[in-house]
Amino acid sequence: MILFRRFIGRALWRDPVRTAVTVAGLTLGVAVVLAIRLANTGSVRGFERALDLVAGRTSLELVGAGVGVAEPALAELGWLRDHGRVSPVLDRTALVRAPDGTEWPVRVLGVDILRDQPFREYRLLQITEDNLDDVRPQDFLELLVDPGSLILTEQFASRHGLTLGGPARLVVGDVVHEMSVRGLLRDEGPARVVDGQLALVDIATAQWLFARIGWVDRVELQLFEPEAIDEVEAKISARLPDGVQVQRPAQRGRQVENMLAAFHFNLNALSYIALIVGVFLVYNTVAVSVIARRREIGTLRALGATRGRVLRMFLGEAAALALVGAGLGVPLGWLLAQGAVRLTSTTVNTLYVTSAATVPSLGLADLLLALGVTVPLALLAAAQPAAEAAAVPPIDAVRQIDPSARARRASRRPQVVAAVAFAAAAWCSTRPPVDGLPLFGLAAALAVVLGAAMLVPALLSWLRRVGRAPLARWLGVEGLLAHANLSAAVSRLAVSVAALVVSLAMLAAIAIMIGSFRETVAYWVGQTLQADLFVAVGDRTPVGAPLTISAETEAHLASHPQVRAVDPFRNVDLPYGPDGDLIILGAGDFEVLLDHGGLLFKAPADARTAMRAAVDADGVVVSEVFANKHGVSAGEWILLDTPGGRRSFKVAAVYYDYSSDRGLVVMDRRTFARHYGALRPTGMTLYLEPDADPDLVRDELLAAAGADTRLFIQTNATLRREVLRIFDATFAITYALEAIAIVVAIMGVAATLLTLVLERRHELAMLRLVGAGRRQIRRMVVIEATLLGALSQGLGLVVGFVLSLILIYVINVQSFGWTIQFHLPVGFLAQSTLLVAATTGLAGLYPAAVAMRTSGGDRER
Amino acid sequence: MRGRCFVCVVAALLVVLDVMVPTGVGAQDRGTTTSDGWRQATSGYSMAFPRDHGSHPDYRIEWWYYTGNLESADGRRYGYQVTFFRIGVDPAPENPSAWAVRDLFMAHLAVTDVDGGRQWVAERLERGGIGWAGARTGTLDVWNGDWQAELVGERHRLVAFDREFGVELSLDPGKPPVLHGEAGLSQKGETPGNASHYYSLTRMPTTGRLLIDGDEVEVFGTSWMDHEFGTSFLEPGQVGWDWFSLQLDDGSDVMLFQLRRNDGRAPRLAGTWVAPDGTTRIIQPGDIELADGRRWTSPASGAVYPVEWRLSLGDPSAELGVKPMLDAQELYAEESTGVTYWEGAVEVSGEVEGRPVRGLGYLEMTGYVGRPMSEFFR
Repeated sequence: MILFRRFIGRALWRDPVRTAVTVAGLTLGVAVVLAIRLANTGSVRGFERALDLVAGRTSLELVGAGVGVAEPALAELGWLRDHGRVSPVLDRTALVRAPDGTEWPVRVLGVDILRDQPFREYRLLQITEDNLDDVRPQDFLELLVDPGSLILTEQFASRHGLTLGGPARLVVGDVVHEMSVRGLLRDEGPARVVDGQLALVDIATAQWLFARIGWVDRVELQLFEPEAIDEVEAKISARLPDGVQVQRPAQRGRQVENMLAAFHFNLNALSYIALIVGVFLVYNTVAVSVIARRREIGTLRALGATRGRVLRMFLGEAAALALVGAGLGVPLGWLLAQGAVRLTSTTVNTLYVTSAATVPSLGLADLLLALGVTVPLALLAAAQPAAEAAAVPPIDAVRQIDPSARARRASRRPQVVAAVAFAAAAWCSTRPPVDGLPLFGLAAALAVVLGAAMLVPALLSWLRRVGRAPLARWLGVEGLLAHANLSAAVSRLAVSVAALVVSLAMLAAIAIMIGSFRETVAYWVGQTLQADLFVAVGDRTPVGAPLTISAETEAHLASHPQVRAVDPFRNVDLPYGPDGDLIILGAGDFEVLLDHGGLLFKAPADARTAMRAAVDADGVVVSEVFANKHGVSAGEWILLDTPGGRRSFKVAAVYYDYSSDRGLVVMDRRTFARHYGALRPTGMTLYLEPDADPDLVRDELLAAAGADTRLFIQTNATLRREVLRIFDATFAITYALEAIAIVVAIMGVAATLLTLVLERRHELAMLRLVGAGRRQIRRMVVIEATLLGALSQGLGLVVGFVLSLILIYVINVQSFGWTIQFHLPVGFLAQSTLLVAATTGLAGLYPAAVAMRTSGGDRER
Repeated sequence: MRGRCFVCVVAALLVVLDVMVPTGVGAQDRGTTTSDGWRQATSGYSMAFPRDHGSHPDYRIEWWYYTGNLESADGRRYGYQVTFFRIGVDPAPENPSAWAVRDLFMAHLAVTDVDGGRQWVAERLERGGIGWAGARTGTLDVWNGDWQAELVGERHRLVAFDREFGVELSLDPGKPPVLHGEAGLSQKGETPGNASHYYSLTRMPTTGRLLIDGDEVEVFGTSWMDHEFGTSFLEPGQVGWDWFSLQLDDGSDVMLFQLRRNDGRAPRLAGTWVAPDGTTRIIQPGDIELADGRRWTSPASGAVYPVEWRLSLGDPSAELGVKPMLDAQELYAEESTGVTYWEGAVEVSGEVEGRPVRGLGYLEMTGYVGRPMSEFFR
């Protein structure tokens, strides 16, 4: 141990910049991995926590096919009473308009107050001014009588200046209801959901407010014998009519988790890049320390240290770096997670599910995970240099050797590994997904990265041979010197360069993938969005809790003289297939879509004819994602759950859609109404007369709707911009993760250069003695750095191109199922190349400054 | 005059609705409806059966009350109570939802194991909703979940089970319906209109089975059924009541009640004597003397109930002692509907016209705990 402290500890201490960079790299890597993990669980957990609080003591729930349970079916379920308490529920969202005019989303729970008490632990704080004691359930009766009654949480009411007995405006869809606050809930049970954003109303009121007369969203069941849940669930399931399913409340959480799985998986995978780069740095540090101290190792061996001891010492160095990096990375990860949640919550809320994501607090598990991933990786990275150290013969203690001499005997082994890796990548990219996750695709990407890293030394050697003349010609004597310096240190630089290449390749790949994707989406938007105006309620529709357009508004919009056709559409979430994946079932007006819309069909060739045949028939069109995920093609039949049971629908056509990775099934609104009942639309598209001015019509419609309206009307142009804005917001996190990886890698290059500079103190002093100016020294070092950056970027671009093909054609297809047209974002790539060269050049300034100082002050030698 | 419990609920609703019971409905309003749309119980209504076994949704308040003393083949004694309440809330709700509350349906179930010294109780409160509770018009069919009273031929079929206890009974009508008060109009308050339409089936031979603590027992015995409907009942100052239904071994049946006041004024008394042949006679208030005796304090609610009584009647002359089969027959409901009362099987002994009699019956005592009624009717 003492030896370890003296030999390794002191060395780490003596080279603080390199040590710090390595630790910082690992810290960032660990932090990013952890941050993404926390943010991912946070977004799901926010939803699940709300689920738990609202579900209360519910053990089972009955759900209908996407649209809830119809009352005639519910009336037949009286026998459920034998198994437990039964409570029908409407679970919705609305906005409460505070006295200051601000609007706040609340989850509105419509329950039968008489029978719901045992389910949720809500307690009324007070219902009348003079009644502050615990209120007995009969006080809930008040809610039964007045359809304008609303119960809010105490927290919410006091925050927004709402008082007991006072008015409250509830905005449901585009309609404002005058309600009165008839009760306040204590801060416990479901009242704790999302900052107290909960409103409780009677089920009759809820049906009326949300235009769901005759339907409930689900029926909750609290079992008399919760321990026999499996048996009871099976019994109930066997007895339920078609169109109603029994499940556990947690199932909804699992569905959300599944829905987000691909998104989260890819974020997780990306987050590991920074860690891998950090691990490269560990390899680099240990390798350099072995090479630089061959004589010392030889001396140790001569003094009797065994090979095993030397091996353990260098592995210990890696472990120490990893421990410190992981230790620092955990708290930093938690901080980064806050930012990551903000970056991802837009995506999650826009595309998946509304939930207030919060970063979970750090647990021991997180620390163990950080250590469990980092330490083994660091040890693995250090294995090769440590083994090399152990192999140093004692005789080296007395040999005067060039530190990089051994490395010059470059073996062919790396090239062989590279070839194997590339072959494996090719094979992996033909494998199908595992459980819907692109595991083989990622393996292919990793193999490409590994192969590329292995080729770096060979490539550097090759460049050394061909680069001398051009450098001398273009950059003069400093260029020549830079070339000489780099040539002498190829083996040591290789690792830093490889790390940089890897991160730059990933950046290039991601940039190409996103660029292609964006281009594809832009084209799709241009083709598909044909309507002139798009109407929605609220600035966006949260998934799962739709805001609907009232019949009055629909009539008002359709009656405008310049509106030629309207297509009211409605989406519902529907479990599909054996795993109950939540797909989106949409209802639209097929005739209007065919006459005016611009769906981009993938198959069959005569898709429009096929779609026309599906008008008011049991036919559907499905998105490409749906077709890919569920292995369905045009002309086949699919089974969809409806309130009346499972029905088969013919897939008339497959169309391109990039609005969701969940898979869309769209049917004509008449077909939908026949199977699922009439539902208020969540949005409308308006097609105007050819000579109409969309902006003008939009303003007229809004003006007629009144200043108080909740309608949002977008013109074609603004919606297109909005789609691309959401697209960019979705990928913001991707770039953020990648940027961190690059920062780590550039730090690695700077650290390596710094080591080289420090080792070359004598040479630099010599250069000064023979007349080199301080500026020339600096120029030389900066040229070295820039060269390394440019080289890395060059190689990174090539590897990135290959990776982008894997991302687009393997990983994307397996995770999301989209067709992405390949597109090279040349501008972005050119910019990033310049930027990387400039940044590495800048990163060279510090070593250059050290070089100037060293060469200036060390004249005594 | 039973069921203070639900009157409390009604009272709470009235406070909620901010609609006071129209206590001043005068003679000129007879046969009309109250301002909030309910029909008043006034004279001139003529009862017919089985029609009037059914529901009367025009009236605000209605109940079907079954009590009885039963025994098993091996002589174990049991008492039971099954009660269905319908409480009108809004005769024409604005909200078209099926869940909009027109009526609330409440039900109580109690089974007393006399020899085991135990009582089981359960209650339900439902809205009509999608038919999970309700009452048909035209014939007897009232239900709350799977608790139900219906007419099967001539017989009343009664089914009500909680998880560990319950009853499934078949009741023969026995004597013809007894119309209380004046041709079935039972006056409750000073003011006309504060009354109910009230009839009873006072001696119903009963067979069936009980579920007691998970065990089934075949039983037989005698039941008493009350059916009452009206809109406004109580007046300020009326805090509760004591109600007796007694079946004597000479074949006579007696219904008696007193409405107690808290303002020092004398209680209101009423009664009906049913002879063995079914002929009835009103017992005049002046001929009734009720003296309360031994008291029992409920450990659950703290209420002190006079569980033993002496009844002295003038015409026919009778001296009857009433003792509970079991002291602990309180229906404690502070945690649920919030209304607690005592309702239990009793035994009677004494003399009628000088001849010794024994008998069985049920006693209900309300207003001994919680707020006085007058507070609800402020």
